[in-house]
Amino acid sequence: MLYSGLFLWAQLFHYMNIKITIWLNLATLFLSLYSVSFATNAAENAAENVTGPNFPEHLLRDAGKNALWKNKEWLNLLHYKGDGDSYLSQVDDPRFFNAPKGKTNPQSELIASLKSFYSTDLSEPNNHPQCRFIARLHWLQKQLPDSLTQLPTVNCPQYNDWRKQVPGHKASLIFPAYHLNSPSSMFGHTLLRIDPADDAANSSWLSMAVNFGANIQASDNSIAFAIKGLAGGYSGTFIVTPYFKKIKEYNREENRDIWEYPLNLTPAETEQMVQHLWELKDINFDYYFFDENCSYRLLELLEVARSSLNLTNQFGLSAIPIDTVRSIDQAGLVTGTLYRPSQATNINHLLKQLNDIQKDLVLRIASDTNLINSAEFKQIDPAKQSIMLDAAYRYLRFQQNDDGRTDANAKNSFSLLQAINKVPNFKSPEAGYSAHQKPEKGHLSKRLDIIAGNNRIKNKSTAEDANREYAQLQFRMSFHSLDDNIDGFLEGAQINIGSISARAYKDEVQLQQLDFIDIFSLSPRNAFFQPLSWRVYTGLEQQFINGREHLTGHVTGGAGVAYEPWSRGYFYALATTRFESNSQFSRALEPALGYSSGLLQHFSFGTTQLEFSGEAFLNNEIRQRVKFIHNFPLARNHSLQFLLNFQRQRNSHNNQTPSESHYETSDAQLSYRYFYH
Amino acid sequence: MKKITTGTLLLLASSSAFAVAPGGGGCGWGNALFEGQAGAAPHILAVTTNGTSGNNTFGMTSGTNGCSVSGKIGYSGKSMLASVMDEFSEDAAKGEGEALTAVSVAMGVQPEDRAKFAQLTHDNFNTLFPNQDVTAEQVYNSLQQVMKTDAQLSKYAI
Repeated sequence: MLYSGLFLWAQLFHYMNIKITIWLNLATLFLSLYSVSFATNAAENAAENVTGPNFPEHLLRDAGKNALWKNKEWLNLLHYKGDGDSYLSQVDDPRFFNAPKGKTNPQSELIASLKSFYSTDLSEPNNHPQCRFIARLHWLQKQLPDSLTQLPTVNCPQYNDWRKQVPGHKASLIFPAYHLNSPSSMFGHTLLRIDPADDAANSSWLSMAVNFGANIQASDNSIAFAIKGLAGGYSGTFIVTPYFKKIKEYNREENRDIWEYPLNLTPAETEQMVQHLWELKDINFDYYFFDENCSYRLLELLEVARSSLNLTNQFGLSAIPIDTVRSIDQAGLVTGTLYRPSQATNINHLLKQLNDIQKDLVLRIASDTNLINSAEFKQIDPAKQSIMLDAAYRYLRFQQNDDGRTDANAKNSFSLLQAINKVPNFKSPEAGYSAHQKPEKGHLSKRLDIIAGNNRIKNKSTAEDANREYAQLQFRMSFHSLDDNIDGFLEGAQINIGSISARAYKDEVQLQQLDFIDIFSLSPRNAFFQPLSWRVYTGLEQQFINGREHLTGHVTGGAGVAYEPWSRGYFYALATTRFESNSQFSRALEPALGYSSGLLQHFSFGTTQLEFSGEAFLNNEIRQRVKFIHNFPLARNHSLQFLLNFQRQRNSHNNQTPSESHYETSDAQLSYRYFYH
Repeated sequence: MKKITTGTLLLLASSSAFAVAPGGGGCGWGNALFEGQAGAAPHILAVTTNGTSGNNTFGMTSGTNGCSVSGKIGYSGKSMLASVMDEFSEDAAKGEGEALTAVSVAMGVQPEDRAKFAQLTHDNFNTLFPNQDVTAEQVYNSLQQVMKTDAQLSKYAI
């Protein structure tokens, strides 16, 4: 009773919430329409009145002679997408355009821009078009050196100040890698870093990071982010922050490794990009999680830097960050790889060099630094002592991420720093990387499987035994499964979005599976780290009920623990819950409790997974299964997979068969998997 | 009643924060060592920091870390030190690292003198960091004193 009451309330609340959101959206729509029309009027008036006395009559003729507005550099500077006849700018902010029809008309925008540069209204110089559209101005000056002359002199104090902090001589692409336990970061992220000329002698810590992201409300959680991010509703802007803040954020707070790819942009190309970046200050773009995201906008910036690049047109439906890194690499822009391991990676790297007794002592030192003076510690080899001190210190810093500053943590951290300071020539090297870890070398994000299989059904009540062969085709939009080729990916991190498969038996073809989302976060626990492992997946799938397969909708989730008892072997156990909807059950949504437990092992020659799972429904339907998978990588984007699945189910109470039924089904499959972009 | 108490507490808390933060509210100078990353770990339902939530900056002088930089371009040595004090303390203890370099660059230390700067902070770790509650402001003042007594680095001391 209480349960159904709660459910009703939840439904009601949900319904109200949707209504409110719709009204809010409508209100925002009207408001934005109003502000667009207001702004266009303003721009229209401005365009008419701006032309100063010096405006050269032949300027527009010269611009027209070369049809400058069809130049790719102009189209890139205004973020136009189009086919030559019709254009649409990706910028969703009227302040970015000088012409009323600027968003759709490159020609009128070019003419309006030329006129606006001659405006004699110098009351607020920072707002003068010469200061706001600095890359446009410089580009047009280069194209029209003889006619774009006699411009009024305008000083741009804000821009000049800004450029002292963002000098812009060269650039690096930055890829903070996957973050397992936060679904919205599971695809990774990209940003750009603008470096001054002499950063090798200085420090990239002081370089500027250029980041495009959604303007998220502090109250949004990742579910709201996912919904709004997919359906639209966020706006996105560029922000520029010192790079050390990004290092702290990703390496230390989120424990994500950072990969840095220096680019071969020339100083002139970098300069054009930085000037354009200024034009994008506070300018709003629509933000979509899959396509118009952080990575896509960076590609646009790179196309502004070098117009011969064709990066954005490679990404239609989705721009997965690592795929954009690969295109930038393939375009010949990347000159090297630098790696910044996260705090957690470094701690693990240090711990690997210690034996179990030493690891145990590290933990005890972290909570009682007096042990540094004990005989137990002092008898250890000095090189190992350094590693232990460093591991204990870093572990305390890691812990503070969760707990905040406590007196004990601060006191112990400080004692460890004092001890480290006393060690002559303290050495405790950070983690490096091996070639197979490079994320851009991993398999591509889309996958096509061609499967041949055999399905056997035994009716235990009647001793019937049927055998059927089938062919199956499966497509996955993105991104990585636990049993996919592991090179370049985080072990234990599965995120699949949009997976569909069709199966053809001799006499029928059926939709076998349609997964909307499938996340499995498998994080091993040990004495130092105690993360939760969890899984969520939802979609449609065939389930064997009452003697045949039925298409079934479901939401399944679970949480539990994982351990890594030996290298690259993960043992896991999850308690699960499932809500299922199909034609055979009397309830619209049948709940179940279950478990999922198994072993995942990565070998040099592939990946093996053995999993036991099962669930018991409220209506007494019970399922148990054993699954064995082995994946043989053939090459980076090709693999062969072998799968065995055995399932047993009993149904005792449901609307179709009042008597008990008992079936065993087994599947054997061999699939060829092809990864592509 | 309850509301009034909370309000008063908040007021007291913020005024005491101002008392130790000469750069203004939210500035890191009054922060004690190891306050830089309190409880920042993301949890499962947290929105990714891939987004741009928080204070919107465009790399402008003002608003870099809430500290006034008194018209200077970029990070002064003092505001840089306040921003990376935790990392700086670790590098000073070890005698090397990027936080050391970043602070020395922000203080205007030339490349040929940076090894000496690292050496000096390492040798004077106990002076710079007398205890775990030391503030960035105190560390900065001690650093100035230590540099003044060094023949090679005194020219960078203010």
